[in-house]
Amino acid sequence: MFKLNLKIAFRNLFKNKVYAAINIGGLAIGLTAFILLLLFINHESDYDKWDPELSKIYQIREKHDFFTPDNKQYWQEAVESRIGALTREKIPQFKHVTKVDRIWGNGFSVKIANADPIMVTDFRDADSAFFKVFPYQFVQGDQLTALNEPNTMVLKKKMAVRLFGTDKVVGKEVKVVMWRNDKGRSFKITGVVQEPSTPESVDINAIMHTGDRDKDPESISNSNYCSVYGLAGNILDTTAMNKTLQRIYVDYKKSSFTQRKITYDDYYKNGKVPGLKLVPLQETHANPPFVNGWLQKIKPVIALSIFLLLVSVINFVNLATAQSVQRAKEVGVKKVLGSYRKQLVNQFLFESAIQSLLALFISIVLVELCLPSFNAHFDVTLSFWHSNQLIGIALQLIGVFVVVTLLAGLYPAVVLSNYNPVSVLKGNYERGFKGLALRNGLVVVQFIIAVTFMISIGVMHLQTSYVANKDLGFDRSKLINIQTNYEDDFANRIKKIPGVQYVATTTQVMGNTFNVPEEITYNNQVYNVNTVTVSMDALSALGVQVVSGRIFSSEYGQDTVNTVVLNQAAANLMGKNLVGKQYDIISEKEKYTFQIVGIIKDYHNEGFDKTVIPTVYKANDLGGTSNTNNLLIRFNTSNYQDIVKKIEAEWKRLYPDFPMQYVTVEDAFQKELESSRRLMQMVVLFSIISVILSLLGLFALATFLAKRKTKEIAIRKILGASDFQIINMLNRSFLILVLFANITSWPIAYILTRKWLEGFAYRIDMPFLPFLAATVLSVVVAVFTITLQARKAAISNPVDSLKYE
Amino acid sequence: MIKIENLEKVYKTEEIETTALNGINLHVKEGEFVSIMGPSGCGKSTLLNVMGLLDKPESGSYKFLETELLKLNDRERSNFRKRNMGFVFQNFNLIDELTVFENIELPLIYNKIPSAERKKLVNEIIERMNIVNRSGHFPQQLSGGQQQRVAVARALVTKPKLVLADEPTGNLDSAHGNEVMELLCELNETGTTIVMVTHSSHDASFSNRIINLKDGHVISEKINKGKTEELI
Ligand SMILES: Nc1ncnc2c1ncn2[C@@H]1O[C@H](COP(=O)(O)OP(=O)(O)O)[C@@H](O)[C@H]1O
Ligand SMILES: [Mg+2]
Repeated sequence: MFKLNLKIAFRNLFKNKVYAAINIGGLAIGLTAFILLLLFINHESDYDKWDPELSKIYQIREKHDFFTPDNKQYWQEAVESRIGALTREKIPQFKHVTKVDRIWGNGFSVKIANADPIMVTDFRDADSAFFKVFPYQFVQGDQLTALNEPNTMVLKKKMAVRLFGTDKVVGKEVKVVMWRNDKGRSFKITGVVQEPSTPESVDINAIMHTGDRDKDPESISNSNYCSVYGLAGNILDTTAMNKTLQRIYVDYKKSSFTQRKITYDDYYKNGKVPGLKLVPLQETHANPPFVNGWLQKIKPVIALSIFLLLVSVINFVNLATAQSVQRAKEVGVKKVLGSYRKQLVNQFLFESAIQSLLALFISIVLVELCLPSFNAHFDVTLSFWHSNQLIGIALQLIGVFVVVTLLAGLYPAVVLSNYNPVSVLKGNYERGFKGLALRNGLVVVQFIIAVTFMISIGVMHLQTSYVANKDLGFDRSKLINIQTNYEDDFANRIKKIPGVQYVATTTQVMGNTFNVPEEITYNNQVYNVNTVTVSMDALSALGVQVVSGRIFSSEYGQDTVNTVVLNQAAANLMGKNLVGKQYDIISEKEKYTFQIVGIIKDYHNEGFDKTVIPTVYKANDLGGTSNTNNLLIRFNTSNYQDIVKKIEAEWKRLYPDFPMQYVTVEDAFQKELESSRRLMQMVVLFSIISVILSLLGLFALATFLAKRKTKEIAIRKILGASDFQIINMLNRSFLILVLFANITSWPIAYILTRKWLEGFAYRIDMPFLPFLAATVLSVVVAVFTITLQARKAAISNPVDSLKYE
Repeated sequence: MIKIENLEKVYKTEEIETTALNGINLHVKEGEFVSIMGPSGCGKSTLLNVMGLLDKPESGSYKFLETELLKLNDRERSNFRKRNMGFVFQNFNLIDELTVFENIELPLIYNKIPSAERKKLVNEIIERMNIVNRSGHFPQQLSGGQQQRVAVARALVTKPKLVLADEPTGNLDSAHGNEVMELLCELNETGTTIVMVTHSSHDASFSNRIINLKDGHVISEKINKGKTEELI
C-alpha cells in the first residue's frame, strides 16, 4: 500500500511538474525565511545559557537619569558603585557580588613588549570577585585566586591566541593603554578562560583587575558608575527581592543625602523617583535599558515570515484542492475497492508530507546559502550545521514540518477523501467537489497579504527617502569625528594641515551624544533644557544654520564664560525675541546668569525617530566636557583621504601607543538610518517573494480553472464566442477576488504603515500613491497572468477538447 | 444469495425529490447471471450502487447470505465490499497513475493479501485476460477494450462472490464488447454471481434472467430459457 501510494505520489508530482515546482518551491522559500528566523530567535534566546549557575546570577539596575538619550529616568545597568558593597552587605541571599566597569570609549590599545599596539575591545575592569560570580572555565590559571592581586588579568582563550598565538600565557605581561595619552598600565596574566558555548550579555574579551573597582570613591559626593552582578545560592523570588532592594536603596539614599547635605525631596522632584531592582542575568539580553529588546525589534520580521509562510501554505492548499479534480477518480475507485476514508486521508496527508519534506530539504540548502549574507546583514553569527543547538533546531524543524504538512495537507486530504464514489464513478468528477468558496477565500487572503506588502513598500520607501534627503540642520559631508578628546596641542597641529577648515569638539554629534539636563530660570519661569558644551568653533564646524543673532566666535571674549546659543526647540519653549535676553541658573548657593546671543535651527544628532530636544549650547575654551570623545574635523574639500593620512601621521608622532580611530559623520548618519533601512529591505524582499508566490498561485489556479472549463469553453466557441469573450469570462471571476482583496488590504495597510510612521518623530503624511499603485499593479499583473493561461484555452481548437471528453 | 425487499431510494436536491428506487424486490440465487434493463433514469445504476454498498437506501432490506447489509456502518460496509464484491464500470475507472499490474493488484492490497501471493494472483489473471505484455503499461496507453479487460481483471482478482457490472460494454464497439461479455460468461460458469446493467438486449441474452425496471419499479422479469437450461 505504502509503496503504491508513494508511486502514485511521485507519478502525480511528475505529471504536474510545474505545479509541483510552484508548490514545493514556494513552500521552500516560505520555510527558508521561517528557519532563518528560528535560528535568529534561538541565537538570541540562547544568551547566558552556557552554565546552569548563570540562572542564579542577577544584575542590579538602578533608576536614574544620567547617560540617557533624553535626560529621563531609566532602569540602568550602570549603577552607583557603592551599590556593590550595599547589596553584598544587606542581601544575604547573594553568595558573591562583583562590580564590572562600564565600557568606555571605543576600545583599548594593547602593547606587548615592543610590538605595535593592537586595538582590542571588551577589556573590562572588574573587582576581584568576578570569577566567583561568573563560572568561566579556566584552561590556565586558577578561578579562585586569579584576580587576588591588583594588576592581574584573565584573558578569554581567543584573545590570548590573538595576542600571543597561544593560550599558554600565564605569567606574561601586557600593557593596556586606555586612551591616547594614557601612559598605560601593565598587567600580569593569571588565567585564560574557555570561550563559553553560548553568547554572553556581559561581553568580555578580558577581565582586568586594576584594583580600582575594589573600592569606592572616598568622598561621598563623588560617585562612580559600574555594573553590579550578584550570585545567589538559589533562584530568587524577584518580586520579593525587589521590595527589599527598594527599601535598602531608599534608606541608603537618605543617609547619603544627609551626609551630602541635600534633602531627599529636593533631589526627587519633577517625577524623579528612587529605584533599585534586580534582573535575572538570563533576562538582561532581552531587556536592554534604553532600546527595545530583540524580541520587540524583530516582531515585524516575525510577522513578515509568518505571512510569507502563510502565503506559501495557501498556495499549497489551493493547488492541491484544485488538482483534486484529477484525483477524484482514484478516490472513487479506491473507495469502491474497499478503502476506508481514513486510509485516503492518510494517503493525501502523506503526499503533502512528501512535498513539505522536499521543501524542507530545499530550504535547508537555501538557509545554508543565505546565512552568510543574513549574518552580514543583521550583524549576527548564526550557523546551522555548526550550531551547538543542532538537536534543538532539528526538533523545531520536525515541528515545523508537521505543522506545515497538516496545515497544507489536511484540508485537501479531507476534501479529497470526501468524494462521493457514486457521483465520481458516473464520470462526474465535479459533483462531489466542494470548497470553491474556501479556495476563493484563500486567494483573497493571499492577495490581501501581497497588496498590503506592496503598499507598505511604497510608504516605507517614501518615508525613507524623505528621511535620507531631510535637511539635518547641519552639513554632514566633509566632516569626520576622531573619537578622542580635544587637546589644544594636537588640534593646533592639525589646524595647520592644508584642507583642514575647523577642528572642534562638542558633547553632541551624530553617533555620540552625551546629554546633560539643566534647569534654567527665565522670566521667573523654570525650563528643563539639555546642555551641550562645544568649543568655540564647533557650531561653525558643524555648519549649523543661524536663525537669529550669532553663533560663538573668538572675537567675543565673553563667549567662553556666560553666553549661550539656543536651538529653535528651546527658543520655542521660552518665547519670542530671545536674542540679547538673559536667563539664570539658580543653585542653592549661587546664581549664574547667561546671555542668549543667538538661535540656530534644530539639528539632528540622533535618528529621526527622536525629536530634537530643547538645547542650550555653551562654549568652552578647553573643549567641552573631558570625556565626550568627539574631535570634529571639517575639511574644505571632499577629497580628504590624503589629509586624514597626514592627521594620522601627526597622531602617531604624538600618541604612538594608541592607534587613531575615526568615523565620518556621513557614516554615523547612515548608521542611524540603518535599522529602519534593514526593516525596509526585509519588507521589500518578503513582499517581492510573497507577490511572486501569490501570482504563481493565481497562475496555477487559472490553469486548472481553464482546464476544468475546457468543455464549456469548447461549447461556447462552437456557439460563436470570440477568444476575447472567453478570456474575459475566465478573468472576471478572479478579478472580483483581486479587487475585493485590494479593498480589504487598504485599511490594513493604512493601519500598519501609520503605526510604523508614528515611530518617526519626523515623518511624511500618509501618501495615497502607494495604495493606488499597489491596486493598479496587482490588478494588471493578475489580469496578465490569467489571460496568459486563458488565451491558451481560448485559442485551442474546440473540436479537440470535445472529442477528448 | 441476495434478498432485496421493498428497497426505496430518494434523491433530494434543492429543487426536486427524485424517487430513484420505489419498492424494489429482487432475489438473486448463487451462481446466477442477472441483467437489469430499462430506460435511462429508471434507477438501474442506483440499484446497482445500493447492491454494491456504495449508496444507502432510505428503507427496505438487503440480505446477502442471511446478513442484513443495510445495518452496517461505513467501515463494515467497506470491509464487506472488498471481501465479497467486484465492480466493472462503463467508463472503466482505472487509476491513471497506476500500471495495469498495479491497478489489478490494488484490491488485493486492500484485502491485506501478502505480496508474494498478490504477485501470483495478479499474474494468473493477467494471463487469463490475455494482457500479459501490457502489465507494465498505464491505462492511457491501452485501447478501450483492453482497459475494460483490465477492469474486469481487477474485479475478479479477489475472487468475489458477486460481480456488479454497470453497462460494461457501453463504451466499447461490438467486437470488444463481445470479448468482455464472453469473459463475464466464463466467470459466471465458474460460479460467480453476476448482476449486470445493460441497454443492449444482445448483452442481456448472455444472462439467465432479465429484469425490467421502470420509474424505480420492477415491471417484468424474463427467464432466458436457453441459458437457464444450460445452468440446470
Ligand atoms: N446523485 C443524484 N442526485 C439526484 N438525483 C439523482 C442522483 N443520481 C441519480 N439521480 C436520479 O435518480 C434517477 C435514477 O438514476 P440512475 O439510477 O442513474 O438511472 P439509470 O437507470 O439511467 O442508471 C434519475 O432520475 C436520476 O436523475
Ligand atoms: Mg446508469
